[in-house]
Amino acid sequence: MLDAHVVKRRASFTVDVRLRANAGEACGLFGASGAGKSTILACIAGVETPDAGHVVIDGLRVFAPSLPLYRRNAGYLTQDADLFPHLSVAENVLFGLAADSRSEPETSRWIAELRDRLGIDAIWSAPAGAISGGQARRVALARMLARKPVLVLLDEPFAGLDRPLVRDLLRAIAAWQRALGFTLIVVDHQADVLERLCPRTVVIEEGRTVQDAGWAQLRSAPATPLLADLLRPL
Amino acid sequence: MILRLAAALFALALLYPLAGLFVPVGAWRWDRSATLGAVEVSLGLTAIAMGVVVLAGTPMAVYIARVSPRERFLWQGLLLVSVLLPPLALGILISLAFGPHALGAVLARLGLRMTNTPLAFVVTQIYVSIGYYVLGAVAALDAVPRPLEVQAGLLGQNAWRVFYRVTFPLARLGFAVSLSLAWVRALTEFGAVVVTAYYPAGMPVAIWTSLENFGLPAVMPLLVLFLAVSLPLPWLVQVFAQRGPSRA
Repeated sequence: MLDAHVVKRRASFTVDVRLRANAGEACGLFGASGAGKSTILACIAGVETPDAGHVVIDGLRVFAPSLPLYRRNAGYLTQDADLFPHLSVAENVLFGLAADSRSEPETSRWIAELRDRLGIDAIWSAPAGAISGGQARRVALARMLARKPVLVLLDEPFAGLDRPLVRDLLRAIAAWQRALGFTLIVVDHQADVLERLCPRTVVIEEGRTVQDAGWAQLRSAPATPLLADLLRPL
Repeated sequence: MILRLAAALFALALLYPLAGLFVPVGAWRWDRSATLGAVEVSLGLTAIAMGVVVLAGTPMAVYIARVSPRERFLWQGLLLVSVLLPPLALGILISLAFGPHALGAVLARLGLRMTNTPLAFVVTQIYVSIGYYVLGAVAALDAVPRPLEVQAGLLGQNAWRVFYRVTFPLARLGFAVSLSLAWVRALTEFGAVVVTAYYPAGMPVAIWTSLENFGLPAVMPLLVLFLAVSLPLPWLVQVFAQRGPSRA
């Protein structure tokens, strides 16, 4: 479903990673800060352009050549909610839906589920610029999932949120991933966050894959001392 | 309190030239047809010029706002030339460049004259104002966070829809301010227009010829009308723009 080979020069090293994920699979990208995880995700999303390699999403080659963002059936969420401040919460969530599809019963049910499950009902008509950071993150998640993308890319979307909210969002995302069957790629440097979402994780160090395994194996036989250190409790 | 008083004195000094409207200059002479004709020429042709400025300047501004810093430096430098040229010099250069020994010969074959015609008036206004509009519009576009446009693209919107639904609503006040500056620049232009289009006489040229031919009593009604039609629109836009961040 996702077949990517991302080559991207950075200041101190070159990211060169191959990543494959099947339809409906959840895969984590784990590593220390600055290892190149976010670069890989940004290149897959199309926010950054790789220097070489290829990216194929659901059978569609989106790089190279680079397809415009709107042709990629992917959702991309970072720790910045990036809501449209001139629109209401409702207009933000519905932003990516075609006008004629908004009134379809299935879409209405799905939007109602997002509103209810993410607790954004009370702020539905509020201006997006007037809500809290935690609320904005939930609205951004709803906006991304409203279109039901086949590929969901999460780049540390829970950074800075309180633990109960993170736990709640993780449960919601995991449930929707199972129900909708989208492929999920998650970047985080917190192992416990990734472990809740992704049975399989690719470990990145200085732009290279050092291990691709399940959490049990990562913990029992970490491939590098740095990985062992990252997995050690505080 | 002292600072407020100082600010009031500053504003008073700034607006003091308007006191000239109340200086006795003799009985005002109102030439209705000449005055209204000048207003009509100025407003009508400036509106046409602004249409061209927006249609040609907006895509240029979008392009400049998206290119690399090095390329942007080049384009902005070129635009500044048109902004910084002294109006009289610009008028003479336009007359020469569009004159019979240059592009004017080609235009003449098409039946277009570039001296003392509405076309010459509009073209001159475009030249004197478009640089202000584009540079202002680039600044307005710069103020729109790029990640918002990226998100709109990822949500399935093509480039045009991203501009229409995200970029423009967030930059619209900046665009309005840029357009109001261009409007004032074009409407009040005298130095360049008096060279290229003495006829049809717009308000600035009409004021000048009235002053030369009939003195201050003939100028004053024209002056009042000039202020009344040229100031409100850009003034309102500027005041509205100062009120707070844009929200659509």
